[in-house]
Amino acid sequence: MKQIPKNKTILVIEDERPLLEAINAKLERNGFKVIAARSVEEAFNANIKKDGVGAITIDSIEQALNYLESLERVDAIWLDHHLLGDENGLDFVKKFKANGGRWNKIPVFVVSNAASPKTIKSYTRAGVSKYYVKSDHRLDEIIKDIETYVTN
Amino acid sequence: MNKQVPTISVSDEIILNLKVLAEEKEGVRRKLAVTAAKLAVTAKKLAVIAEKKESIRRKLVATAKEKEVVRLELAVTAAKLAVTARRLAVTAKEKESARRHKLAVTAAKLAMTAEKLAATAKEKENVRRKLAVTAAKLAVTAEKLAVTAEKLAATAEKLAATAKEKESVRRKLAVTAKKLAATAEEKEVVRRKLAVIAWELAVTAKEKESVRRKLAVTAKEKEVVRRKLAVTAAKLKISYETLEKKVLERTKSLEMARAKEEAILLSIGDGLLATDEKGNIIFINKTAERLFDKKSKEVMGKKFSDVIPLEDEKEVFIPLEKHPVNMVLTAGAATASLPTAYYRSKSRNRFPMAIMATPVVLDGKTIGAIKVFRDITSEREVDKAKTEFVSLASHQLRTPLSTVNWYAEMLLAGDVGEMSEQQNKYLNEVYRSNQRMVELVNALLDVASLELGTFAIESEKVDICQLAESIIDEQKPEIGTRKLRFSFSCAKDISFIHTDPKHLRMVIQNILSNAIKYSPDGGKIHLSITLADKQNILIKISDNGYGIPKSQQDKIFTKLFRADNVRDKDTDGTGLGLYIVKSIVDNSGGKIWFTSPPKNAKNGTNFCVTLPINGVPRLMKVK
Repeated sequence: MKQIPKNKTILVIEDERPLLEAINAKLERNGFKVIAARSVEEAFNANIKKDGVGAITIDSIEQALNYLESLERVDAIWLDHHLLGDENGLDFVKKFKANGGRWNKIPVFVVSNAASPKTIKSYTRAGVSKYYVKSDHRLDEIIKDIETYVTN
Repeated sequence: MNKQVPTISVSDEIILNLKVLAEEKEGVRRKLAVTAAKLAVTAKKLAVIAEKKESIRRKLVATAKEKEVVRLELAVTAAKLAVTARRLAVTAKEKESARRHKLAVTAAKLAMTAEKLAATAKEKENVRRKLAVTAAKLAVTAEKLAVTAEKLAATAEKLAATAKEKESVRRKLAVTAKKLAATAEEKEVVRRKLAVIAWELAVTAKEKESVRRKLAVTAKEKEVVRRKLAVTAAKLKISYETLEKKVLERTKSLEMARAKEEAILLSIGDGLLATDEKGNIIFINKTAERLFDKKSKEVMGKKFSDVIPLEDEKEVFIPLEKHPVNMVLTAGAATASLPTAYYRSKSRNRFPMAIMATPVVLDGKTIGAIKVFRDITSEREVDKAKTEFVSLASHQLRTPLSTVNWYAEMLLAGDVGEMSEQQNKYLNEVYRSNQRMVELVNALLDVASLELGTFAIESEKVDICQLAESIIDEQKPEIGTRKLRFSFSCAKDISFIHTDPKHLRMVIQNILSNAIKYSPDGGKIHLSITLADKQNILIKISDNGYGIPKSQQDKIFTKLFRADNVRDKDTDGTGLGLYIVKSIVDNSGGKIWFTSPPKNAKNGTNFCVTLPINGVPRLMKVK
């Protein structure tokens, strides 16, 4: 068990339930506060309570972003490429980054099994911090990276 | 008179008579002397004349000598007469008495003498007459001489004049002679030249002669040939007529064949366009008309690039120099292709075309180009579907593997409580097998991509030394635990190469991990990167590991093949690594080879890869 400052919050967007649960468990075990979502819509419409997982409904990305703004803090985003719904991780990053402001500074870690060079390049261009091919990395390995990133 | 004169009386008379006679004789003698003196003068004059006229005088000298002889004879005669006269006088005196006796005798003798004298006188008279005649002749001769002398004088004058004239003529002649001498020298030079020319002409003449003879022979032969030709001509005429008929028939069949060929060309399913050497369109078939949405008439004779503009994926016009037709016409390419070109027709939307151009070569000269092209919209769709399938499959296959991975990881980490040693061991097997499965899936997906051609080469500037170092860093834990002696060298003169970094990484990573995997603990591995030549780099990875069995060396690059010796030692490995490496190296325009065991080594393997520094010449690549 590592000592992570209590207020480090991470938004995890992952469509695969078993994986989301594993990530969630591992992150919480490593002292992160986790907000989870399985789709872009959910990420923005997340019924999130101030202290954890919840669900809220908002009408627009703007609202979602505003809502996210209203959260105490989000220190990092864990993002999968393939998501439920019509939109994928890349759409999220684009919207997210386009909003500007404080959000721009939140590091985004893409953890996906989509491994085509083209996809990876698109994410890198969109400004994500790092791209992991899910099956090639251990959970603790990725979490260690994120920890290093958010504490520095 | 010899008869005795009988009386003395008579004797006085006789003496008187004798005295008279003597006196007369004296007179004659004197006259003769005068005549002689005159003759002498005449002779002298003649001698003078003779002396003056040398040439004529010689003749006169003879005459004068004759005259002198006569004169001398006459002088002798005169002297004798004078002597006789004196004796007579003496006798008369001494024998005065006796003379009477003897007078008769003397008288007789005198008579006789007188007779002789008379005869002499007659002879003298004859001589005188002869002299007169001679004198007359001499006078005539003198006159003649005078005339002759005058003539001679005139002749001499004429001769003098003639001599002068001759002298001037001679001088003129001398001048002329000099001129002639000069002219003669010039003439000599000319003559020599002429001699040379003459010699040459002679040679030419000989040659001509030989030619003429040959020609004569040839002419004969020609005549023979001509006759034969005449015969042949007759035969030919017949043949020609036959041929004419055949040609007509053949032309008809050729026209048919040509029409057929044209119909074949026109009906080819792919678009076909032919240009001349300048790129002007000379033929398009029906498919081309349909694809371009233009009639043959509209495009014939026009520059291909003007009529058929092409765009790239970003809707930017492709410049002329990148048109395959232009490349075969101007750059001398054997074939040129453009895998991604778009054409926008009047009625149809923009559609992708695959274009292949080849030069039309006749007698070693490019006389035009042929462009074959087709609408690849459906192929694009298939490719897209395949690519999507691969990417989807990759995702779908990896997701459960990831789940197994992560849960095993958490279990092994004791996140949900400690496990027994046995449980731990079993779970480790699950975890390791899952890792292998991940590797296998990754490798299979790479192979699928390679074989689909979607394994796109994304060339960029890569710092190969830095890339190699990052691969080594990943392998360091393994190198450490296996206690391998690893060394790395990268030549300083290598900076960047143009390649796809992901591919280059796979190449180095695969060969290096093989070297690590298939070396015993404590083995020796060396990785070096150097310049192979100006255009290529050489990556060399050598180990002293298990090596590759000789009998299986030819299969080492085949898909899913694993050598027997390593299958015994380590079950880890997909049998796809070197297949992928070879595919990448081949697609990158490089070479790969190995020696096992390497030279001067008992065991181990030496892998070498060369890659072009400036990347693959993509436009020339025909997939």
